[in-house]
Amino acid sequence: MKQLIIAVAALTLAACNTVPTAPKTAQVSLNFAAQINGQPFACGQRYDGVGTTRSSITPSDFRMYVSEVKLLRQDGSAVPVQMAQDGIWQHQNVALIDFENGIGPCRNGTTATNTAVRGQVPAGDYVGVELTVGVPFALNHQDPTVAPAPLNSTAMFWNWQGGYKFIKFDTTSSGISTDKPAAPNAMGPVTRYSVHLGSTACAGDSKTQAPSSCQNPNRMTVRLNQFDLAKNTVVVDMGAVLAQANVDVNAKGTSPGCMSFLKDADCPPVMSALGLAYDGVAAAGAQRLLSQR
Amino acid sequence: MKRLPRSLVLWPALVLGWVLLSGSALQAYHWGLPAWVPRPVEPADNPMSAAKVELGRHLFYDQRLSADNSMSCASCHQQDKAFTDGKSLSEGVTKEKGSRSAMSLANVAYLPVLTWANPNLTALEVQALVPLFGEHPVEMGMAGREKELFARLQADARYRELFAKAFPAEANQGAQALYSLSTLTKAIGSFQRSLLSFDSPYDRYQYGGQKDAISASAKRGEALFFGEKMECYHCHGGFTFTDNIRHQKLPLAEQGFHNTGLYNLDGRGAYPANNVGISELTGNPDDMGQFRTPTLRNVALTAPYMHDGSIPTLQQVIREHYAQAGRAGNTPAGPNPMRSSLIAGFEITQQEVNDVVAFLNSLTDESFVKNPKHSDPWGKAPKSK
Repeated sequence: MKQLIIAVAALTLAACNTVPTAPKTAQVSLNFAAQINGQPFACGQRYDGVGTTRSSITPSDFRMYVSEVKLLRQDGSAVPVQMAQDGIWQHQNVALIDFENGIGPCRNGTTATNTAVRGQVPAGDYVGVELTVGVPFALNHQDPTVAPAPLNSTAMFWNWQGGYKFIKFDTTSSGISTDKPAAPNAMGPVTRYSVHLGSTACAGDSKTQAPSSCQNPNRMTVRLNQFDLAKNTVVVDMGAVLAQANVDVNAKGTSPGCMSFLKDADCPPVMSALGLAYDGVAAAGAQRLLSQR
Repeated sequence: MKRLPRSLVLWPALVLGWVLLSGSALQAYHWGLPAWVPRPVEPADNPMSAAKVELGRHLFYDQRLSADNSMSCASCHQQDKAFTDGKSLSEGVTKEKGSRSAMSLANVAYLPVLTWANPNLTALEVQALVPLFGEHPVEMGMAGREKELFARLQADARYRELFAKAFPAEANQGAQALYSLSTLTKAIGSFQRSLLSFDSPYDRYQYGGQKDAISASAKRGEALFFGEKMECYHCHGGFTFTDNIRHQKLPLAEQGFHNTGLYNLDGRGAYPANNVGISELTGNPDDMGQFRTPTLRNVALTAPYMHDGSIPTLQQVIREHYAQAGRAGNTPAGPNPMRSSLIAGFEITQQEVNDVVAFLNSLTDESFVKNPKHSDPWGKAPKSK
């Protein structure tokens, strides 16, 4: 008992001593908003004019991992945001951003949504933000079945070796393809199209052992140099990613849409729009997924 | 520094702790899980206790729970078949067949949503009412006969003791509270939650560090199972091998209903009218043919397969269903246009099929299907007159 009292007293003293010299911290929140070609994202809503065929799509899932968030000082230096360890959405320096709400075709998702990264930084003046879409290598290849939240969502499992889906976007499109010639009805689902981003060509002993490296990490690091956390929002627009893709077809013998795997004819326009090299070909330009408003 | 003798400080705490724990209601339930498996979530209104599990086990195996004393829960959920019945479609007391195959009860404690095709059935306590009292189809046939049921139970001295131990608070409120649908379903639900299966050869290989616990063929099958050609693990992922899961380390429960393209009766994705999946309940035609992903643990013991038991063997499930982009892909109507995007079909050799089946066989947990704690406590199940 006495020991405990002394310990508490010591802690109190230590706290008193350090308070005047401790750097002040600021609670910060980096907000995200999802959209399709400028229209707010909602589960089950139909969006027209998507991709090269100007198809209509009805999304059924939209989630992504954001990690290594840093705030930028005027001099260009980057200060890591210490994410709040909430046991649900954030673990170490990774957060799951979840735009779907389990409604309608998003049934296989979760009711809860999460559209912000929350954490703290040393108080100061910040002019921009840097973030990575993806899970850092050190956390990406553990056994997801026994990982802590949000790294234990089965929906986001890629596979044990390759890690997680950094982006999971699933939709149906209204177009008719040779693969699926019979439309159930004019509005109904015909082609199912997905964009799943993840690391590929990860060398490992077996599918359920962690690899030593991945040839294509496919993590997107994006800097928004003039970004005010209090006023600005990171806009995540899948319409921009699909602009040069044909969402009504799927290259024969490949994953539906683009799931990042090599030799998939559906992938080049998508990976290029994500600003990532694909199959040895560099992206045509900067990423078009993230912007700000 | 002066110290109090440790024993002086500790003794009162130990005595108090012993007093608290010795009350049966306060005794923490021992799940008996391996260290790597997170614990299931207990319902707030039905925390686990050994006494409830034991009562539930007696009820689960008791044919007095059916109209003509011919059926118990165990009639369709047999331990040696990982709590399935080996039939395509299960029959009730009237011999009327249901439209779906009995599902395994292994690890149901981890399921946020139960049964093949009802997204609203989320609690074992509620689900138990369906086979007991359901009339479409009739299963155990007890609709309108609950008074008779409770009289049967109350007349048995063994139940009087088991109910009183499992529900001491209700016992204090009298017989009506003690022998009720609430206590009955809570006990059966508790027994079902105790049916945990994590001791297969694959577990010893993956989590127990026994590199030789599964064969070379099973290891090749594992690679195919977790690979992008077959895409099995997208739905049959996680430590229960289904994308329907909830546990103490997973704050947001996950559910997975999918159309695997088993049927395409009209070229526009139709399933047989008596088995349209969750669209029967959601009323949404886009949900046609969507059924809940079943666990693959003990799958070698749970034939025949699919929601309607329409495929006899695992070999056929792979070759004649999934490899064809869904079985309908092999019919004139072609692949179901509403099937999951991950059901794309694949080329597969006989050796590869054998390897995947060897992997699936490595998920069989012999200690689970032989665990005496899950077995019939009655010896020969008693019948009422």
